[in-house]
Amino acid sequence: MKRSELLSRIIVTVAIVGAIGAPLYFWSRTPLIHARMAENGGWSPDVIQAEVGQPLHLRFTSDDVVHGFAVGQMDMPSVDVLPGKVADISLTFDEPGIYTFYCTRWCGLNHWRMRGTIEVAGASTSPKPVSPPLYVSLNLDIDAPHDALFIPDGKPSAVNGQSLAMSSSISLSQEDYFTQSPYQVFDELKGTSLTDEQRWDAVAYLWQSNTTPESLANGKQLYAQNCAACHGENGAGDGVFANDLNEAGEASMQTMTGAHDMVMQTPVDFTDPTRMLGASPALLQGKILRGGMGTGMPMWGVIFTEEQIWDLIAYIYSFQFEYTK
Amino acid sequence: MNPRLSLLLIGLAGLAVAFAPLPVQPIAPQERTFEIDARQYAYSPSELQVNHGDTVTIQLVSTDVVHGLYIDGYDISVEADPGQTASLTFIANKSGSFRFRCNVTCGAMHPFMIGKLNVGIDNWLYRSIGLATLAIFGTVISMRQKA
Repeated sequence: MKRSELLSRIIVTVAIVGAIGAPLYFWSRTPLIHARMAENGGWSPDVIQAEVGQPLHLRFTSDDVVHGFAVGQMDMPSVDVLPGKVADISLTFDEPGIYTFYCTRWCGLNHWRMRGTIEVAGASTSPKPVSPPLYVSLNLDIDAPHDALFIPDGKPSAVNGQSLAMSSSISLSQEDYFTQSPYQVFDELKGTSLTDEQRWDAVAYLWQSNTTPESLANGKQLYAQNCAACHGENGAGDGVFANDLNEAGEASMQTMTGAHDMVMQTPVDFTDPTRMLGASPALLQGKILRGGMGTGMPMWGVIFTEEQIWDLIAYIYSFQFEYTK
Repeated sequence: MNPRLSLLLIGLAGLAVAFAPLPVQPIAPQERTFEIDARQYAYSPSELQVNHGDTVTIQLVSTDVVHGLYIDGYDISVEADPGQTASLTFIANKSGSFRFRCNVTCGAMHPFMIGKLNVGIDNWLYRSIGLATLAIFGTVISMRQKA
């Protein structure tokens, strides 16, 4: 064999091995993250390290049922994690910090406990000032009862309220909308010549005037994906998990946290006017952000953006008010 | 009676039971809606009965994890997340019994999560019963004649 032939054989062999081997090597170095139902351990690993500006490659597979992957407060489509298949995901973070990733497909009673964190190290390029959420700056006690003292007979209608509000020139600024409950606004309208029913209709209109159809549609979608399993598609607190949560009670809490003093509560009924008409958007924001300690209500502050929470709140009020279609 | 003649008569009766066209009463197609609860690892109800030509709507409600429903033979499917009712509408234009099964891996016993869709009357069941009865009758007669 000539030397040149030997050399070319070696070159061809090395090129082929390299072309196949190099991607395989890098692929196998990418960690494979296993997703399991929360009762069986959730994500493993559930803490991932990353660098600002460096692409983070992740591979996911599921060990039991269908799960989904998404990072909270990040504009990314959720990726389905199917049993027996591997999903490849590449992420790049612009800002350092601790990001929460979570399961996006309801995978059982404790689905919402299936969360993990991505710790992104590095220097911030444009630090943003952090302001406390509204319920903190207002010093609201979000666990205190907030019942409406007077409730309407039926669903107040925004259509009827519109003409009433126009003729009596009633309006509600966004700031007042955020900080006041429907009942408070209803109470403030006492001085007008309107009847009780008309006042409620006017409140319904004021609430509608502080939202948009897009916001309601977005809220409806978020609600269906994240809330309806417990709170029910129609907001009545009768979702498919409501009974199971009740039966599981403390047992369900203990599997994850070992806390003995916690008791599962039934999901809140958003169609209950006493409760909902006495709640201001700021109060609801607090409850959604923080979650109900000791109940099954998850903490959404790390998942939803502020805008998404306002959209959700606008949608939740539509269980109380008859809005124009 | 001539044994051959009686055998021939029974044979003819058998053919008639097996292949005679039935007086078909056309049933006006209707719309039917079923709500099926899916949980690990069963459907409830797990057996559906419809008539040929019906417009069938299946609302799949999942109560624990993500489940699906795939109807064999019709090759259509739907997938439901807990909290989000999914619905599937189709026209039952094929007669017979069809399996439906979960087509989303939902846990260890996932392959055993099945149900049945019956479209129209199961004629072959009744014809088979008729044929079996006839066969017994024939056997008894031929045994008597030999004795």
